[in-house]
Amino acid sequence: MSKQKDIRILAYESSCDETSTAVIKNGREIESLIVATQIKSHQRFGGVVPEVASRHHIEVISQITKEALAQANATWDDIDAIAVTYGPGLVGALLIGVSAAKAASMATGIPLIGVDHIMGHIMAAQLTDEIEYPALALQVSGGHTEIVLMKDPTHFEIVGDTRDDAAGEAYDKIGRVLGVKYPAGKTIDDWAHQGQDTFNFPRAMMTDDDYDFSFSGLKSAFINTCHHADQIHQELNKYDLAASFQAAVVDVLSTKTIRAIKEYQPKTFIMGGGVAANHGLRDRMSQEIAALPESMRPKVILPDLKLCGDNAAMIGAAAYNLYNEGKFADMTLNADPSLELPYAKNMLK
Amino acid sequence: MKILSVSTATNHLSVALNDDQSVIVEKSEQDERNHSEHLDPLIDEIMQANNLQLKDLDRFAVAIGPGSYTGLRIGITTVKMFASILNKEVVGISTLQALAAGCSDQNTLIVAGIDARNDNYFAGGYVNEGGLPVNVLADGHYHISSLLEAVKEYLANKSVSKIIFIGSGFTKQEELLKALAVPFSYGTDDQNVIHAGLIGKLAETATPTDPDQLLPNYLRRTQAEVDWHKKTGKPFEPDSNYVEEV
Repeated sequence: MSKQKDIRILAYESSCDETSTAVIKNGREIESLIVATQIKSHQRFGGVVPEVASRHHIEVISQITKEALAQANATWDDIDAIAVTYGPGLVGALLIGVSAAKAASMATGIPLIGVDHIMGHIMAAQLTDEIEYPALALQVSGGHTEIVLMKDPTHFEIVGDTRDDAAGEAYDKIGRVLGVKYPAGKTIDDWAHQGQDTFNFPRAMMTDDDYDFSFSGLKSAFINTCHHADQIHQELNKYDLAASFQAAVVDVLSTKTIRAIKEYQPKTFIMGGGVAANHGLRDRMSQEIAALPESMRPKVILPDLKLCGDNAAMIGAAAYNLYNEGKFADMTLNADPSLELPYAKNMLK
Repeated sequence: MKILSVSTATNHLSVALNDDQSVIVEKSEQDERNHSEHLDPLIDEIMQANNLQLKDLDRFAVAIGPGSYTGLRIGITTVKMFASILNKEVVGISTLQALAAGCSDQNTLIVAGIDARNDNYFAGGYVNEGGLPVNVLADGHYHISSLLEAVKEYLANKSVSKIIFIGSGFTKQEELLKALAVPFSYGTDDQNVIHAGLIGKLAETATPTDPDQLLPNYLRRTQAEVDWHKKTGKPFEPDSNYVEEV
């Protein structure tokens, strides 16, 4: 059998506050990855300001296209497809990547692929190890908390979702109360490892019969505890607060995910999204899965820490699977800020 | 010189192909907030109808601002990528100069403006000299009262026989405009929209920009930055100081 031609995809990601380009070979190998982060800018405001984000994206988009090609030692002639995140995300921010990718496709004649950002986050795992299907993913970020079932590399279905705040959003909000700079996840994770779960915050929906989540009650309980202590001039231990908050988040996420693994019996379990970089969550999920009987124990893929946040490499990985299925976009591709993966039939939405 | 020009600065999308000073084709769509969906297909249609490929062009031109922030970025990102990838020249043209180019009346102050709500305008003043609109009142974000102050000051020093207000949102200021010392009129419907063909004409003699440096001329900082500056008193740094490669 002759060796198949290598497929190289140039990918764009600009859905929030990172502008990123990458060249990915065969959906598995990162030949280049450029990430221009705007965190320093948005720290001025305590969170991402959409118009500011869009302004920063357009400042770097053409340079980082050239850099991605140069770092991969590639020219446009080596590229088989151009991929871009078209949703979900901030519409003005998404439009920079979408406009750039479409223009690049028109200028070069190279086909275009539109990628769902969430599919991208989950497919970061493909850059770490081979995924066997069916697979199940816990997708946790500032905007999403979902359990996703994958029949194959392009068919994804949400089987559990948050009813209110995303887990990462709760981290940022309680981080603000503790005076932690946005984004707060890493600091809270570090503090949590130095404290004890002494506050017993609520674990909402943990024993419910579905795979849904709710984090707004936990967030409110946390904020009320801090405000009450302020009023009576009592100082609370920030490490214990962080540990208690994180224990509640990790308990709920791991309990429901393990139950989903038992029901759906996936061959691979994946974590994706910014909160997948949380050590407390990574350790707990690994332990819980290791404790499962061998017959129902899936292979575990935790993406590299540098691939948990937003990046174009994951978009290139997901796009490769779409490329293999011939799922291309045309020049009418538009940003879709509220793009959603399909929900499983048995899920009420 | 073959030039492809684009305006996505307002809800009137316009694309044109120029060859030297003649407009070969200009196509427009009134598509509200959907430029992203329509721009590339429209470019494609024009290129195919003229048997051209993007690489056959000599230069790209675009309305650089002011205008809708999101709209501007769609057009500018598109042409900056074309120019960057195909190693072609690119030119950004003031949206207001492009509007003013629609009026060749002599001895006339052309006030070109885009309604920015609450009696505010992105506006600039131009006079036609040798067939080209020359800027005489800087493009800026003006309240109607300060815009008319600037107009009055201009009229006090220069003699023009009339003023024409081109663009959007001026008719509602009629009472204030009547107080000006010279007769005024409004642009026609055709003059009040941005024509990519006129951008192409202006672009022919303009100096090209490095595609990487082609950025919208917003004429306004974001509200979040203004509030931050007021609150902290900290100076605005160049944008490049806030974006880091990791």
